[in-house]
Amino acid sequence: MVIYLTKRLLAVIPIILFAIFLMFLLIRLSPVDPAEAYLAAANIHPTEELLAEKRQEFGLDQPLIVQYFQTVKKIVLLDFGNSYVTNSPVWQEVAARMPATIQLAVSSILLSIIVSIPLGFLSAVYKNSLIDHFSRLLSYLGASVPQFWLGYILIFFFSVKLDLFPVEGRGTWQHFVLPSLTLSLALIAIYTRLLRASVLEELEEVYVLYARTRGVKEKAIMVKHVLRIAISPMLTGLGMNLGKLLTGTIIVEQVFSWPGFGRFFIEAIFNRDIPVIQSYVVLAACLFIVCNLIVDIVQLYLDPRISWKGRTEY
Amino acid sequence: MQKVKSKKSILLASVTSIFLLLTGCSNDNAASQSTEGTEENTNSITLSWPRDIGSMNPHVYNPSQLIAQSMIYEPLVSYEDGGKIKPHLAESWSVSEDGLEYTFKLREGVKFTDGSSFNAEIVKKNFDAVMKNKSSHSWLGVINVLEKTEVVDELTFKLTLSEPYYPAIQDLALVRPVRFLGESGFPEDGDTSKGITEPVGTGPWVLEDYKKDEYATFTRNPDYWGESPELEKVTIKIIPDAETRVLAFEKGELDLIYGEGAISMDSFNYLKETGDYQTDLSEPVGTRTLLLNSTNEKLADLNVRLALQHGFDKAAMVEGITLGLEEKADNILSTNFPYTDIEVEPFDYNVEKAAAYLEEAGWNLPSGKAVREKDGQPLELELMYDKTDPIQKAMSETLQAEWSAIGVKLNLKGEELTTQIERRKAGQFDLDFWYNFGAPYDPHSFINVVAEKGWGVSEAHSNLPMKAELDQQVQEALASTDEKERQQLYGSILNTLQEQSVFLPISYIKKTVVYQNDVKEFIFPANRDEQPFNEIEKSQ
Repeated sequence: MVIYLTKRLLAVIPIILFAIFLMFLLIRLSPVDPAEAYLAAANIHPTEELLAEKRQEFGLDQPLIVQYFQTVKKIVLLDFGNSYVTNSPVWQEVAARMPATIQLAVSSILLSIIVSIPLGFLSAVYKNSLIDHFSRLLSYLGASVPQFWLGYILIFFFSVKLDLFPVEGRGTWQHFVLPSLTLSLALIAIYTRLLRASVLEELEEVYVLYARTRGVKEKAIMVKHVLRIAISPMLTGLGMNLGKLLTGTIIVEQVFSWPGFGRFFIEAIFNRDIPVIQSYVVLAACLFIVCNLIVDIVQLYLDPRISWKGRTEY
Repeated sequence: MQKVKSKKSILLASVTSIFLLLTGCSNDNAASQSTEGTEENTNSITLSWPRDIGSMNPHVYNPSQLIAQSMIYEPLVSYEDGGKIKPHLAESWSVSEDGLEYTFKLREGVKFTDGSSFNAEIVKKNFDAVMKNKSSHSWLGVINVLEKTEVVDELTFKLTLSEPYYPAIQDLALVRPVRFLGESGFPEDGDTSKGITEPVGTGPWVLEDYKKDEYATFTRNPDYWGESPELEKVTIKIIPDAETRVLAFEKGELDLIYGEGAISMDSFNYLKETGDYQTDLSEPVGTRTLLLNSTNEKLADLNVRLALQHGFDKAAMVEGITLGLEEKADNILSTNFPYTDIEVEPFDYNVEKAAAYLEEAGWNLPSGKAVREKDGQPLELELMYDKTDPIQKAMSETLQAEWSAIGVKLNLKGEELTTQIERRKAGQFDLDFWYNFGAPYDPHSFINVVAEKGWGVSEAHSNLPMKAELDQQVQEALASTDEKERQQLYGSILNTLQEQSVFLPISYIKKTVVYQNDVKEFIFPANRDEQPFNEIEKSQ
């Protein structure tokens, strides 16, 4: 197990370095001059001398390869520099906004689990029934409706017309409902179909037939056996979507005025606040990598058929 | 079995802790929530603002928001309608004959919210703090010519300039950086550029409650020296999305949506047409202009520039794209600024006239071709626009279609904003969008950029035959101490600019406001950046 984990962790390093390289390259390819962007954000009239001074301070006069290694070195030490706009360390700004984003992501995951497990399970058990059709419709909607539009529609009906929830902001549990619903609909669409398919697959297995012939109650077969096994692919999907979920909050945070990291990122784009943009890209990349790693490890732990030893040999 | 149980308990523990995390945060914020709503206090208003109000430091810029800074901090003099400068924290002032010394008699009995007195000492301390960080403020004329600040006596303060600069007094009316922080707000080393300890001002409002990125609540300053506002409380909710602002307003969570670009043109008209709300447009705050670069050899010819002025239906374009929220502009600067009320002959929409000008300039239309040519060269120009600005984009496309009818091929180039500014500064463009600064910066900032290099405007004019004379007039106007002479110089400068058509005025930009029916007396402030809350009343 230790060898496997070490191998996997070591493999993460080149991937992260590559992600940093891509980020570095894309930022250098954009026409925005960081020195110019800094002075614009600080409301300083950019004279040639000031620009030259800032370019030197940011190391932009160094060869690209030197700049790249300096960037990597700083990122490894979690030094993303100071925001051009607020002048505070980016890390501090990000840390202050992360809890709000994590709360929203967690509540959306919980909501999607609560909805998709019963819905996916029932639509498999009662295949082609009304509930199956409904879940299919919901999945189509979830997969095709853009999040910002869904957000506005939910606000319009549930907040402006029915006055059930606040339009925007953060504070009480009511504030969680609409943004979580907006974020989780896409997840519900995926998980419901995933669970339905895997339940149907399990129902074909011999052990189900055997259990039935043994006279085990149908309810027990379904809940204790079928569902327990069928839920495994959904768990994988959940982990893989975690990174997507956190980055997906960008639009939802903007629409619902949620004071999180995603909204901060949007503002950074408009202000050309390069250190913040850089930190976001790196953190998002790390998040995806770490989530995939965790899913792999959890899967090994949950599925006794795959041995640690066996895995390491692949 | 044991394993299953432990798994279950881990799951249960995780769900419970997540739930506690969520509800815990709810309770934390539930208390502050009560300060947000308008229900409990009828004599208060809630409005939206796109960005967090920032650090409330009077001497710095981004991310502090002007509207909130102007609620807490006050200037020595204030900018009123028509550009009149009125006493504010200074009761009166005098300017020496040579225009170098400004002596201010400060208002007596003014207190900061920390209880300390407003006097010449604290005025000097604030000026010194601003000057410590001079490079940040070099865009502002008065800072560049400020030589000395002196405390004459407790209530008399003197500024000495290195050269005469009449707009110094206008510059002191700005919301930043020359407004006054109380003693207890200063950090130990007095360097406010790195931060302040607390927002202590003399203004009519006090910051009572603040949650970053969420809201800020201001209450009436009980010890305010001037006339107290009618409202008791103003809550600024931070809502970054324009459509969400409209939905929150429709639901009644907001009393007011105010600001430039705070609401889309569609939404403004939609809310207006419902008849359920009050809507208003301000006087022009700036002009949307095209800059025709005279250093381009095709645009160097006045006839070509005049042809472009006549060659498009400006009124239809402005109405069609801005849905009536902007007004067709004939003057480069609208007439509500000081010294700008000049007689201007509008350029009418006249395709024949435009064609005649082009022919006079030697640009003829070869048979079977759509683009005019001269010496085998096609009449082809490039218009640069900010690609994130939908109005610039729509106007560019309209101009492209309109000017093609007079045989001008207009290529459009959407640029990243910083690239657009960089190219403009370097004079590397044919046509570009440009905006003046607005009150209280204009008209002096406007004529300044016509003469001073580094902004792209002087560069665009540099091929005019009378450029040197124009620059000389600008220098004289800025240093002039004689009101009549200044008026005459401004008239001459503006007339030359109108005739030379390097500026092609398109539309006057206006501020919008939308408010609920129980909000009364909304008056747009004369200063573009100032807060509008002192006069507002709310019917009970």
